[in-house]
Order: sequence, then structure tokens, then C-alpha cells
Amino acid sequence: MTATTCGCDEIKTLTRRGVLGRGLAAGAAGALAGLVGEGLSTQLAFAAGAYTGDTLVVLSLRGGFDGLSAIAPIGDADYYRARPSIALPKSQVIGGNAMFGLHPALAPLLPLWNNGSLAAVHAVGQPNPTRSHFAAMEEMERAAAGTSVRSGWLDRMLGLTGATGPLAGVSLGSAMPARLLAGPTTDVSMATVDSFTVAGESAKRPMTAALRRMYQSAPELLAAPALAADSALTATASVRATAYTPANGAVYPKTPLGTALRDVARLIKAKAGLVAAAVDSGDWDMHEGLGTAVKGQRMYDNLAETATALAAFAADLGPDGMANVTLVTVSEFGRRVAENASKGVDHGHGNAMLLMGGGVRGGTVYANWPGLAPGALVDGDLAATTDYRAVIGEILQKRCGLGSLADVFPGVTPASFGLATAR
Amino acid sequence: MQTMPQPTRRAVLGGAAAVAATAVGALAVDTVLAAPAAAAPAAVTDLVCADPIAHLLRRATYGPTPAALAEAARLGVAGWLDRQLDPAAIPDGELDALLTRLPLAGAGITTVRAKLPVHSYEAFGQLGRATVARAIWSNRQLFETVAAFWSNHLHVTAPSSGVWDSRSDYDTSVIRAFTFGRFADMLKASARHPAMLTYLDNRTSTKKQPNENYARELMELHTVGMIYSEADVKAAARLLTGLTVGSTGLYTYSAAKHATGTVSILGFSHPNATAEGGEAAALAFLDHLATHPATAERIATKLCVRFVADEAPASLVTRLAKVYLDNGTAVAPVLRALFTSPEFAASVGRKVRTPFEDLAATVRALGLGPETSGTAGLDALYNALVNAGNAPFRWAPPNGFPDIAAAWSSPSAFLLRCNTHLNLATGWYPKQLTRPADMLKALVPVLPPTYGGLVDALAVRLTGTRLPADHVAAVLSVAGKLPTSSLTAKDTSVTGSLPYLVALVLDSPTFQLR
Repeated sequence: MTATTCGCDEIKTLTRRGVLGRGLAAGAAGALAGLVGEGLSTQLAFAAGAYTGDTLVVLSLRGGFDGLSAIAPIGDADYYRARPSIALPKSQVIGGNAMFGLHPALAPLLPLWNNGSLAAVHAVGQPNPTRSHFAAMEEMERAAAGTSVRSGWLDRMLGLTGATGPLAGVSLGSAMPARLLAGPTTDVSMATVDSFTVAGESAKRPMTAALRRMYQSAPELLAAPALAADSALTATASVRATAYTPANGAVYPKTPLGTALRDVARLIKAKAGLVAAAVDSGDWDMHEGLGTAVKGQRMYDNLAETATALAAFAADLGPDGMANVTLVTVSEFGRRVAENASKGVDHGHGNAMLLMGGGVRGGTVYANWPGLAPGALVDGDLAATTDYRAVIGEILQKRCGLGSLADVFPGVTPASFGLATAR
Repeated sequence: MQTMPQPTRRAVLGGAAAVAATAVGALAVDTVLAAPAAAAPAAVTDLVCADPIAHLLRRATYGPTPAALAEAARLGVAGWLDRQLDPAAIPDGELDALLTRLPLAGAGITTVRAKLPVHSYEAFGQLGRATVARAIWSNRQLFETVAAFWSNHLHVTAPSSGVWDSRSDYDTSVIRAFTFGRFADMLKASARHPAMLTYLDNRTSTKKQPNENYARELMELHTVGMIYSEADVKAAARLLTGLTVGSTGLYTYSAAKHATGTVSILGFSHPNATAEGGEAAALAFLDHLATHPATAERIATKLCVRFVADEAPASLVTRLAKVYLDNGTAVAPVLRALFTSPEFAASVGRKVRTPFEDLAATVRALGLGPETSGTAGLDALYNALVNAGNAPFRWAPPNGFPDIAAAWSSPSAFLLRCNTHLNLATGWYPKQLTRPADMLKALVPVLPPTYGGLVDALAVRLTGTRLPADHVAAVLSVAGKLPTSSLTAKDTSVTGSLPYLVALVLDSPTFQLR
């Protein structure tokens, strides 16, 4: 296997795709802003459109998540042979079955696992693997191997739902745009809901109106974000007006992921028309010192932080809220089966995904497990027997009301694990 | 991964050009538009000042100032480049005085370890603030922009674990030491620096179980790009074993960790026969990578994306790659060729300011100076950049900040830009920076007879050109004025309105372009 499936260098690829994706987005956003104009209603209801499926939350675990630590193949003796110092001992797993064990740092999620609203899928991956973070992330977000499609798959999914409100597609946690949402459907990136404001705005100093007026005749690349900001400011005004208190005693960790998921829950509860949300969690690139499964070790702490944030999100929304939400985790690649000299793991391929939601048929690990015997590995990596897009595809059909996947994941057949119930 | 078809890209760009052709005469400020104009989108080339000197300073500095423009006009393009390429000859006393408040920003590893507790973030903080200060207030502007380019190219995230003691020294002895030097030298210095060896894990790599992280990114990000194979990664990882960090935190070569044996990587072959000779073999490999044609093309492309346009002109990339190789990887001749090229001249308005560049250009345009003591104001500027996701060195992955408009173009980023403009124009935040005693007089010495004339004067002073008529009207709406509204010395409301007018001029599409 080589990393040379891309005939161009990485920077050019990023540049080209970024520009094209956003260029298209700019055109669409400009057109939309022109339609809604200044008399935009402050009501949130208009944004919901006709969409009646789940809110889909995509959590991107950046850096290459080690699914072999989180959902450890404890029934596979080769796992222990390959990772003499960092494999998860059978004695420490907190759930799962004879083959797969849950890492103890996932304890906050155990109630969700046990009540059937959290599942894992193992041995998933991309169809054209690369061990480059950057090429792998880009392709994961484009999700259209073998085609010239340039948009992000979440943008295409939004387009199919017909949801066109200013808050239909939102990325939270960063001021930078999400490549998952790049494309013709309008989307908004917000660092946080509360910080999404215009300084100095008052009746005497109508800054927002002045900005709107100035950007109505700006070049499209500059006009699109400005006018999308304008629409989203109006649409989030009533959300921001009330301080947010999570429900059911949920306590979000004060981490970027905790803060972002808190805002996602807030938008969901405000019925702001949120169809798809993108959030990130970083620092999974554990080439060195992945650690044993105890507090203070790298993998343990990262998993614990993530699990705490996810558990708070589920608690905050409660069963009724989660009945209309599906959260999926993705990562650009899994990690090498064998540990390296630094007690870490290098870039690999096959990986695990987590699925959380009221419609998920959880409490189990779905997998066509290829095994970790040396002969079963692909260049030292867990073979990916399931395309990650097939997993998401099953969710899109059963939970988000999509029919054919051809326009979201060209050429992909949805998984038939039965990992979710149809709405 | 799919290679994007060239024609599609052209079609999109062609579409943009078509839009440009339908734009109204955007600079016709004589026509007063009292109502919002439903004008076609303006073209970027109509929005910015096309003067070659102004264009050069928008690209090669962190933002024009009246003094910088006057100096560059006097020296001409070639003379200005000569002067800037000899930074030691440019006095920078005021900045140096400020930097004495940040003594660990450029400190060596031993010093940092002696002054700070283990894993302290203090040196990271000082380095980040010093970098903001230099961008804004250094007179060696070309040096600072090129240092930032290299720093982003051979990126070591700060703060990041493990480099608390070495990141400042990396900035001094790798990036700034070779900013106007030979890339081959900078690359080799980075490969023997504890910060890089720690950040990309080579320090713990061994001959028995090589760690591939540094080997892969060295080829993919630092040099040739994605032309390598997985076999190349494995071979390079073996060749680089032994480049590590000693117990004092300094670089050391450990022959005991080095994997010997013949290697063949991307046209480089070496017997790599002895453990003692492993470092020399690794350095020969680095020289090979630095002078590889794919590296030349990559660096030329990235320099074009930095200084010319998001879509690097292919003709210029080819020429710059040749200049780079003909000059033994020296960057100064490449920069001269770039800034005097027709492709550069033709690229007016084709770059958009990043949040970092926007903040620096705002402070420079407003004539704000460093605070007289302490660093509270600098802290605030740094923290504004943290919120925007663009504070120096904070990009988490090893590929460095993206350098194209699309990567920074978002609703949130737009609002953050605007809010920073108003905070700086009003002096609300930070309060500590030195401000002109009378901002109105400093920006517009002679009061024009109308509000339209005032916004024109502000725009020329802050952005280099007048804004389109509909943008002038939009700016004035925040003061409840029309372009024709008369302005006299007795008009006391102008003082209260001024910061808002200034902020909106800085919010304009014109100021976003560099």
C-alpha cells in the first residue's frame, strides 16, 4: 500500500478543493441572502423547513483515533501479542462481550451502552486508505472516492433534506469553516453561540444593518460569510437572549468539545432548525506514550474527556431529545496494530466508530471482524471490512429520511447491520 | 483521492471573472447613493489601490502605514527589497525595548530550563506575544513575514506538550537564524533541534521499532510532498533513528539507537554502514530532500500562495523553483524574483487577510503604539487571535495554518474581525496601547466639508483608496448621516461617531483584501 494515490501534492489539493468548495458555497449563500433580505423574521420556526428526521451530529476525532484501545479486541490473542505494553487488559474492560471490551475511561457512557442507545462499529475505514493525516481527513470529509465531487458530504446530505434555514448546518467550536459542510448549501460556523455577536450594536449605532448594506454588493467570496453571519445573527438572537442551563443536572466538561456539544444541545432545544452539526475533538495522534488504562495516561484522559462530554450531551437532551438525535464519530484513520518503540502507535487504517442516539440499536459492537493475525493485517494495519460511509449511510436512510445515497456517498451501499431503527 | 480536473477550476474562476465584468464603476464616489444600492458585486481589483508600491506593502508587510508607504515610494520596489533583505541594517530600537519585557521569547533551552518549572507555558506565552509585537511594530517587515512563512512551513505547535523548554530556541536558532538563508540549512537545523524531534516523536524512535511520524511529515510536509511510498517512510524512519534529545534537553546523536543498513529513498541511496555514521547519512538525506525538484516546486508554490494568490500561477512556480535550485536553496533570490514578477504585479486584490494579518494591519493603520510598560495590551491582542483560531504557532496539526481565503472565510471569523476593529478604534479593548492624542486629527488632518468627504479621507488613510459609493453610504448609516451631510468644526457629534466610522471602514471588503 502506498500513499501515492493522489497525483498532486497535498497543499495544492487542499487549496484547490477549499477554493472550489467555498466558491460554490459563496454563490449559494449570496443568492439566499438576496432572497431573505432585510425583513428577516426573528421567528425560528421558518428555519426548520420540512425536515422531520434526526439531527445528525458528526464528531470528528482528529489525529487518528485508536479504535483498538477504545473498543479493544480482547478476544483476539494477536492484539496482546502486538501491543505488549499498551493493550487493554481483559480485567479492565467495563462492558462489551467476549470479543470486544469497552475501555474503562468510557465509564460515563456505560449507562447509554447498557440502555441500548450507544453502539460501536469496528473494522471500518476508507476505501482508498492513506496514512497522511491531511489527505485522509480531506477524503473523509469529501467522502466521494473515485469521483470529481468537491463538496463535503454533510453539505450534500443537507442539500437532499431540503433544509435551507440559516441554522440547518452548523459547525461549533471554531471560527474556521468546516470542510464537511463546504459546498452549495448554506452553513454557519460559530466558535460559540454566546460569542456570535456584533460589538457596539445599538439602536443609535446600527452596526449590523450597516454591515449588511456594505456586503450586499461585495465580491462573493467576502459577501457569503458576511451575509450568512447576518442571517444567523437574527436566527440565534432569541437563543442568545436567555442564559442556558443544561437540563437534568447535566454538567459539561469545560473543554472545547464540552462547550461545543452544549451549544449543539442548546440549538436543538431551541428548535432552531438544526439538521446537521459538526464538532471536533483533537489530540488523538498518539505516536508516543499512549499509556495504560489508568487516569493520567494519554489515551485514558482523552477518552474520559470525550465520554464525559458525550454523556453530558445525552443527559442534557434526555431520552425525548435523544429520540431525535444521532451522533456519529469519525476519524481519518485508525492506528497500526503493533505498538512502536515510543509505546505509541503509528498511523494505520481500520478503526472503530461510535454511534449514539435514541434510534441507535446499541449495547453491541457491529463488525465483520477480520482478525489481527499477521496474515489478516494489511501492511500491519487492521483491515477495514466496512466502509465508514456505509455505516453513516444506514443512519441517513433510517434516521434522516434519505432514500438513495447516490448523491451523498456515490457508489456506496448502506450497511445492513441493523444498527438503527427506522423512524 | 481524486485529482481535481483543471477545467472545472478554470470554469469557476471564469465565473468569478464574469461577475467582475458586470460590476458597476465601483470607485465613482461622486454619485451619491442615499439608499442601499442593489449593485452587482464589486470586483476585487476595483476595491483596492492598484499602485505597485501599495500592492507590494500590502503583501510584503503586515500592512501599509503612511511612513512605510513614503519610504517605499522613495526607494522604489528594488531599493525597498534591498533594504528589507538586509534587516540588520534597519534600526528597530522601539521594538527591542518592548521585547525586553519578554525575555524568554527567544531564550535558549538551558536558560528556559533554569528559569521555569518543568512544563511551564510561560515561554510559549512570551514567544507568541513577541511574534504579535514584531509583526505589528518591527521595521523589518519583510523579515517578519518570511519568518512567519518558514515557521508555518516547519511548524512546531506552541503550546504543545514536550517543547516547553525548546520552542523559543527553535524560533531563534532554526527559523529566524535562516529566514533569509538557505532552506537546506534550516531543514538540517530543524532535524537536529529538540523541538522538532520532540514534536514529531523522533526522539523516542529506536532501531528496533522506528517511530514513523517525523519521517513521514519530513517528506510530506517539509519537503517533497506526497510523492513518497510507504516503503520510503519506513526507510526514512530507520535512517533518522538516533537523532534524539539528551537528558539536558539538548540535541544529541545516539549511535546506539541508529538502525544501520543500505537505504534507497526517492533517489537517495546510502550504505548507512555504521552506527557512528548515521547522523552524517541522515544529513545527506536532508540535503537530498532540500534540493529535490519536488521540494523546489512545493516551496515555490507555497511562497506564491503566501504572497501572490491562492491559486499559485504555474508559470511563476516554475521560474521560482529554478531560482531556488540555481541558488542552492537560498530564499532571498527567490523573493526578489517573486516580488518583481509580472504575475505578482497582476495579482492586485487577489489575497484576503487572515485574522492575524487583519489585526496587525488594523493596529498599524490606526497608528497604535506599544504600551509604555507591561504587556497587558499585548496579552489582549494575543487573546483576540486565540479566539479567531489564528494566534501564532497555535495550529494543532503539523501542516501549519492554511494560507487561503476559503479556509478562514466564515460567519464567525467575519464577526470577530469586525468586533476587533471596533474594540481597537474605540480603545475599549485593549486600553493600554499608546494612541494618538486626537484620533480624528491623526487620521484626517484637514476636516472635509461633508461626511462623505470624511469617509473618503478615512478610507484613503486606512485602506489606501476610497470605498465604493454604496459602501460609503453604508458606513455613514451608523452615524445617521448621508454622504452629502455637511460637516463643520462645530459638529460635536463627529467625535462620538468617529470610532464607528473608522471601524466600518476597516470592516469594508476593501480592507479585507491585501
